[in-house]
Amino acid sequence: MRKRMLAKISEYLMTLLVIITLNFFIPRLMPGDPFTFLSSDEGQVTVTYSEEQIAKYKAYYGLDKPILVQYTSYISNLLRGNIGYSIYYNDHVSTIIGKRIRWTISIVIAAIVISSLTGIVLGSLSAWNRNGVLDKGLYTLMMTLSEIPAFLIGIGFLFILAAKLGWFPLAGGMKSFANYSSFADRIMDILHHAFLPVLTLSVVRLGEFYLLARNSMISVLTKDYMRTARAKGLGKMRIIFRHGLKNAMLPIVTRVFLSLGALFGGAILVENVFHYPGVGRLMREAVMVRDYVLVQGIFLLVAITVLTMNLIADIIYRRLDPRVS
Amino acid sequence: MKYVKQGMKNIKGFTLMGKTGMAVVCVVLFLGIFSDRLSVHPYNLPSGSAFEAPGPVHWLGTDDLGIDLWAQICFGARVSMIIGFGTALLAGIGGSLIGICSGYFGGLIDKIVMRVTDIIIVLPDLPTMIVLGAFFGPGIRNIIIVLALFSWTVPARIVRSKILSVKEEKYVVAAKNYGAKFWHLTIRHFLPNILPVVMVSVIRLFSKAIVAEAGLAFLGLGDPTSKSWGLILNHAVNFRGIYFTDYWKWWIVGPSAAIMLLVTAIAFICRDVEKIVNSKI
Repeated sequence: MRKRMLAKISEYLMTLLVIITLNFFIPRLMPGDPFTFLSSDEGQVTVTYSEEQIAKYKAYYGLDKPILVQYTSYISNLLRGNIGYSIYYNDHVSTIIGKRIRWTISIVIAAIVISSLTGIVLGSLSAWNRNGVLDKGLYTLMMTLSEIPAFLIGIGFLFILAAKLGWFPLAGGMKSFANYSSFADRIMDILHHAFLPVLTLSVVRLGEFYLLARNSMISVLTKDYMRTARAKGLGKMRIIFRHGLKNAMLPIVTRVFLSLGALFGGAILVENVFHYPGVGRLMREAVMVRDYVLVQGIFLLVAITVLTMNLIADIIYRRLDPRVS
Repeated sequence: MKYVKQGMKNIKGFTLMGKTGMAVVCVVLFLGIFSDRLSVHPYNLPSGSAFEAPGPVHWLGTDDLGIDLWAQICFGARVSMIIGFGTALLAGIGGSLIGICSGYFGGLIDKIVMRVTDIIIVLPDLPTMIVLGAFFGPGIRNIIIVLALFSWTVPARIVRSKILSVKEEKYVVAAKNYGAKFWHLTIRHFLPNILPVVMVSVIRLFSKAIVAEAGLAFLGLGDPTSKSWGLILNHAVNFRGIYFTDYWKWWIVGPSAAIMLLVTAIAFICRDVEKIVNSKI
């Protein structure tokens, strides 16, 4: 058991190393050289560096050393938590990300809680009424919902609920230049702004959890102990949620952690629809202004988060299901 | 020829939903192929005044620069189809070949392939696509390559597990004993076996690729020179007055409807193909 766990962890470390290596080599594989031109606006005289200047800058950035030395110094920098310095924002990458990440984390967690709970309830009801009208209607609805891309759902909500009906703000994470009279006011404003992004992300993920819960529940409902429960005369709700769901939960719990990668992808799209100040929006801004160090920092962070969540899913699965070992 | 005939027969077995889906995909394909003939207006030059509502001259209205939206949507169909077919073919063929090799030869190749697929499955795809697009330039060809790089693992895994069972079949062992080489076995025995399962995953990839490209273009990180549906939406959403005017009724609804229609149509086809394949196994 312990040995398998160690093997699993070393597998994840391998993956992490591959990602870091990719992150290191991508800018070095890029066509072009940052020191070829000093400035070359269109229609103007092209200013180039002299040989000595190029040599000086290469030495300054450590680019004159052999690639292996660069690689080890890159990794040792990472281990010390130094992801780099953003040229555009003029700040450490870790500080910039630190300011923005809580917005993303809070909407992602809220969305995952809402979509998994709603998905479980709807899926269980659907499985209980299998092949009934409710089941067929829900199934078709969820199948269609899970096909529509995240940003289209977001645009739909934005135009109907925010622009036409005016129930929610159009953009941002909180009111700009606002003076809040109390702490509760502030919280309310943040929740008000977060509502649509969270709703969109939840709707996007809902289909997946619904289908999973439905399938898992259907297989549990055919078990013998369910017949026993029904024969004992237990109520419908008690059978579904106490006896059925407890056994059907296993795949759902692990999926909660596994779907985090897809959720981060969805968050990038949704944050840009609603101009939400999270990491996804930051990533797009960074690409737009060609701040490559920041783009790589965000990518690394997302990759590490997703890897950790996968590892947790593995561990939890083993804990919850004693049959797996 | 044999496969085409069989395919036609299978389409007849589709449900009504599946047939509608097939029709929608055919229409979009038609729009894509003949995009420059179907609209009298160019897709990249103004041909009217800005924000004309849909009417007899501009069927779907015009955008902020006075460019005809119907022409843009026709051209966007071409981009979507190129991306969809390109990715699906590249990832389908590449993934199947890798899967066949991995399943047939086993050993070190198999181990390496499986580790690589494990890594790619764990990687969050949209962020990685953004990073690669940012560094290598967001042309259509690059987008197809990156999408394929992320999608080949699905067919590869399915094919590998199928090959593992097929290669133990008596007729394959017999053919091998008669001296059949890898390529002969692949073409004669493996391909007919894996084709149905690959079919399903390739159709899925097709729709996944279209959605991914639309997402990238919507973020403004796609190919800025190819007017895809996502790019139209990107322009529309970045237009400042879009929320306070009625322009969205044609500027946003048109391309959104196109994406949704195509994606759900493919989903219906996929469901029917899946049913047919499952019933055969």
